[in-house]
Amino acid sequence: MKKYAAIIKGVLLYVLLTGATILMSFPLFWMISSSLKTLQETNSPGIVWIPDSPTLEAYTSIFQNENFLRSYVNSVFYVVLALAGTLISIAAVAYAFSRVEWPGRNVVFFLMLSTMMIPPQALIVPQYVFFNKLDWIGTFNPLIIPGYFAGGAAMVFLLRQAMAQIPKELDESAFVDGANHIQIWWEIVLPLVKAPLATVATFLFVGLWNNLLTPLIYLQTIDLYTLPVYVSTLYNINNTVQPWPTIMTAAVLTTVPLIVVFFLAQRYILESVVVSGLKG
Amino acid sequence: MFSNPYLSVLIIAVVTVVFIVVCSYGLGSVARWAVRMRGASPKQQESAFAGYFFAAPWIVGFIIFVIVPLSFSLYWSFTDFRIGSGSVASWKGLENYRDILFNDEGFRASVVNTLYLTVIGLPLQMGVALFLAVLLNQRRPGERVFRMAFYLPVILGFNTAVLLCWRLMLNTGTGIINQIIREVSIAVPLFGYLTRALIYGQEIITGFFLGLNTGKYNLLMRVLEAGFPADNRVPLWVQSPLWTKMSVILLMVWGCGTMMLIFLAGLNNIPKELHEAAEVDGATGWQKFWKISFPLLTPYIFYNLVVGLISSLQIFEPIFVLYRDNEPIVSSTISMVYYLWQASFSHFEIGYGSAISWVILVIILVFTLIQFRLQDRWVTYDVY
Repeated sequence: MKKYAAIIKGVLLYVLLTGATILMSFPLFWMISSSLKTLQETNSPGIVWIPDSPTLEAYTSIFQNENFLRSYVNSVFYVVLALAGTLISIAAVAYAFSRVEWPGRNVVFFLMLSTMMIPPQALIVPQYVFFNKLDWIGTFNPLIIPGYFAGGAAMVFLLRQAMAQIPKELDESAFVDGANHIQIWWEIVLPLVKAPLATVATFLFVGLWNNLLTPLIYLQTIDLYTLPVYVSTLYNINNTVQPWPTIMTAAVLTTVPLIVVFFLAQRYILESVVVSGLKG
Repeated sequence: MFSNPYLSVLIIAVVTVVFIVVCSYGLGSVARWAVRMRGASPKQQESAFAGYFFAAPWIVGFIIFVIVPLSFSLYWSFTDFRIGSGSVASWKGLENYRDILFNDEGFRASVVNTLYLTVIGLPLQMGVALFLAVLLNQRRPGERVFRMAFYLPVILGFNTAVLLCWRLMLNTGTGIINQIIREVSIAVPLFGYLTRALIYGQEIITGFFLGLNTGKYNLLMRVLEAGFPADNRVPLWVQSPLWTKMSVILLMVWGCGTMMLIFLAGLNNIPKELHEAAEVDGATGWQKFWKISFPLLTPYIFYNLVVGLISSLQIFEPIFVLYRDNEPIVSSTISMVYYLWQASFSHFEIGYGSAISWVILVIILVFTLIQFRLQDRWVTYDVY
């Protein structure tokens, strides 16, 4: 009797898990399915789960859409450039907070942690004035340059925690061999925190790739638009009929890099969310 | 100066790197000189140099991008400073703040909407997150795949493209969600009845909140007058001010993966012995959850509550993608950050926008502090 109860419980559990998975990933399925439909099918009152004869029409037309292609290039360019500088500066600052003893370290570290309470949006208005003075409105600069100053206290914290776990003896023996701090940072410490670095890089990538608010404020011409800004213009409330297959095709192509990065990094992410989330 | 936008930003990036290295070197040298003056050993001098050298990017960035903007915006918040007007900012005292707090409909709407998301959205979101965490915590084979599937929406959730897919799914007539509701309601009359009961309840509650917002309860009255929804009624997700907030809540619930992982960590930290002891005493699974797991999870619930509340003030993308330009509807769902963006960048009134920024900043700080205070009262930390 007890055995049957356990089996029923197991089956029920998997039914619930599978049901939840279907619900959670349904938008993704719907996005792909709709991108293969015709306009009539996306606007039909009856349910069209999978189009009868899938058409790649929307794909061929979007690959001829110059604005879309340019916004894709813009997104890749801006994300790569911002990611590189942000990641390196975060790694440097995390090194200072974990591997070096310096006067004032605790005070500065406390200051950095307390900036996590400042919502980034509260800084947007004054920063806009500052970038306006520099004549940076209508350029990529405001989206990229602030990150070069170790933007993101939570990410510094995550990396610092990882670096602090490396035994001190490693640096000390390197010092005896005549290495300096820059060599120790680059050649000894960074290779040992590859997994946390990958995590930080993934979070930064997702944040940059999805970013809508600041590109919307600073990129004022269509030839500078990044993907989120351009894709949002495809849907226009004044259209009598929305070009859903086209919009969903753009959506699929925008989402692909996110999904690829997520699958490559999921091993690291799923654990570190908790580490950075519950900062004691 | 540079015609090519890519080249110009590359040059600026290189200049920035040089600037940071110079700052690092300068700050490090000053630190080394300062500790040498105090008679520190060569090794301590070296550490002081290295510490400030490596920390300089953050220190310099903190001054340029946080301290200076915050100070300026505090000053501007007391003036009528505008970009492009050409006139000099003149002092207005507390007028901006008074306007925001007492005369601004947008601000009032954002407060009411946040309240709604907190009272109705957060419990739903946390409930689903906890439910999924409990399912995963059974540690059956394949757990990892399910965990990935449940977390993926967090990665995708705020991308414009994915939000547009939601926009398609939420269409009243041709959207898949309402199509499914219609089909199932026809096949299973009980489901249809329950759905309509939920629609009725939802519309009454939201009508009440909209009344709080505008001071006029005509929508609520209309819902009550219409009475119990007719057979063919479906949710009007993106069409009616009564439903816009519910659509945002749907997105919040979908993106509950981070909360779920936090709960999962909490469930993991519960000592096995407690459950085993309870089993010996003949406790059922239900009792074990409510009497053991749930009290021990309160710190995690508390954490999710604070973070969830703060992030509901900051919702921007869903509102922009779903309701931008949809004038009569958008005010029924704006968040504080959306309101900040709307108010500051439609007329570039920097003084007024700065005041809003400070109001948001203070609200978030106050919430964080109050919650940390309350935490001591009702959170069970040490049961071990």
